[in-house]
Amino acid sequence: MSEEARPQRVRVTAPRPGEPIAAPAEHPSIERTDTATVYVRSLIRSQLRLAIICASGFVVSLGMLWLVLAAAPDLDAIVIAGAPVSWLLLAFGAYPAILAFAVIFVVASRRNEAGYRSLMSAGGES
Amino acid sequence: MNPVLGYIAIAAVTLATALIGFFGLRISRTTQDFYVASRTVRPWWNASAIGGEYLSAASVLGIAGLILLQGAGGLWFPIGYTAGYLMLLLFVAAPLRRSGAYTIPDFTGARLESRLVRRLTTVLVILIGWFYIVPQLQGAALTIRITTGLPSWMGAAAVSIIVGLIVAAGGMRSITFVQAFQFWLKLTAIAVPAVLLLITVGRDGGPSVDPAVAFPAALGPASLDVYSTVSLVIALLLGTMGLPHVLVRFYTNPDGAAARRTTLIVLGLLSVFYIFPTVIGLLGRALAPELASPGEADALVLLLPGMVIGGLLGDVLTALVIAGAFGAFLSTSSGLVVSLAGVISQELAGGSVRGFRIAAIASSLVPLAVALVLEPGGLAGSVGLVFAFTASTLCPVLVLGIWWRGLTARGAVAGMLGGGLFCGAAILLGPLLAAAGGWPSWLQAALAQPAAWTVPLAFALTVVVSRLDRRRAPRGADRVLARLHAPEARA
Repeated sequence: MSEEARPQRVRVTAPRPGEPIAAPAEHPSIERTDTATVYVRSLIRSQLRLAIICASGFVVSLGMLWLVLAAAPDLDAIVIAGAPVSWLLLAFGAYPAILAFAVIFVVASRRNEAGYRSLMSAGGES
Repeated sequence: MNPVLGYIAIAAVTLATALIGFFGLRISRTTQDFYVASRTVRPWWNASAIGGEYLSAASVLGIAGLILLQGAGGLWFPIGYTAGYLMLLLFVAAPLRRSGAYTIPDFTGARLESRLVRRLTTVLVILIGWFYIVPQLQGAALTIRITTGLPSWMGAAAVSIIVGLIVAAGGMRSITFVQAFQFWLKLTAIAVPAVLLLITVGRDGGPSVDPAVAFPAALGPASLDVYSTVSLVIALLLGTMGLPHVLVRFYTNPDGAAARRTTLIVLGLLSVFYIFPTVIGLLGRALAPELASPGEADALVLLLPGMVIGGLLGDVLTALVIAGAFGAFLSTSSGLVVSLAGVISQELAGGSVRGFRIAAIASSLVPLAVALVLEPGGLAGSVGLVFAFTASTLCPVLVLGIWWRGLTARGAVAGMLGGGLFCGAAILLGPLLAAAGGWPSWLQAALAQPAAWTVPLAFALTVVVSRLDRRRAPRGADRVLARLHAPEARA
């Protein structure tokens, strides 16, 4: 990602209070046709579904970690490097799950957007 | 401890911060530079800057202190601080960048086409920002007292004056450089001592303490209170996305996809960083149990290298840790002051540079007054309460505003007011009730960690009132949502 050309310096101005943020004229991918509305709604739905799946996946795996620690008090007795395994698992075990779900989300959400782009360009030509 | 070390470390960090700030000043010229660095900041720079801004006194000092004081309960804080960024990535990062707004009030006000929502969001952002700066100043007070022996108030005053001046002079552009520098400073300052401590302890054949004494099962992961833990995790997961200084940083990404990439890098940086305060906290339980009292535990990171290693190397490590801790107070406070100054000057001064400067000075002096009046609590704990308040007020309006067409201005106001009042009341009443005694323990727990009931309450209020008010849903909602979620056209 570091090889990409440095993006042009863009001059942006703050919206005045009460001014709408959407500026459809500068945003060619947004057209107010019925098909475009359907496409964008389905994009929003699939992105939301993806976000909820990743969030619940993470929360469930965190809960499982905790359940394992609560259900197996024997882990307190196993000591590695001077500290009980149960403490070490809670201290360092959650980060791989956080990173895994983050990577899944970034890849899958980009795929959703690519699908939307190809639908829009196909729709634009017909 | 030798006070000279403290003076040298603090002077070096302040000088480096000021130099980078003034170097940045030469590049930042326009109003846009002052607010969001003209959106030309690259993902790696930006991710380091986000990390630098986010890792506050609570992360650098508070986590190790809490693990020493409370045991495994303290281990949930770094998990929550990191996972909060996961939730931010999933639900708000790319859409919020695409919104084209500068600040949270810009976003909510424009999304709901309501001045009232804008005003209310502004008030909440200012409150949250001020109360988040207070623990930073208290951390500075503690560090100054422990390392130099000077009176506590001088630490708090020094940080707020330095921050006010740097922000007023340089704006966001220079702050981005300063923050990126601060991240790597903090990582070095805590990683090097942690690794050398591990090596020293390992060479001496490990701590002589019985693990069952240093890590008692009664404080272990299996014996944590379920309600308090769940409530804390909810606050940390959902509170991050509403923090004013965190959100403003996403506006500096070139587009939505870059905002997601940046967040992914941030998650990697945070996961690496939090290994080290956790290690020091665990070592502290075995090596320095005598520090485990509420006033002293937060100083564990500052004191442990000198206690265990000693000699010249111990002195150098201590100076390094002091520099890192002071960097944390400076960077988080300056990030908060930048976003607060942006919000205040947009609301009151039409977004002029002069207004920004005045607002920056004001935003650093008010929390100083609060910090000098309030009794200092545990660093990680007081920051945790700010997260609970943010999760109960700004999180629902942001998430629903981004994903739900049906959100109305009245729904947003009801959710923010309801969540804010109940969570605020719990935070104020909790300590009073605990001091009075005699109240049922479930009520004390519910007030001490309110997020588990105030966050669902705020979401429910927002949704129900929006449904009742259906006819007033903003007519532009479809178009705004399309703007938030449709990928940018390729150049």
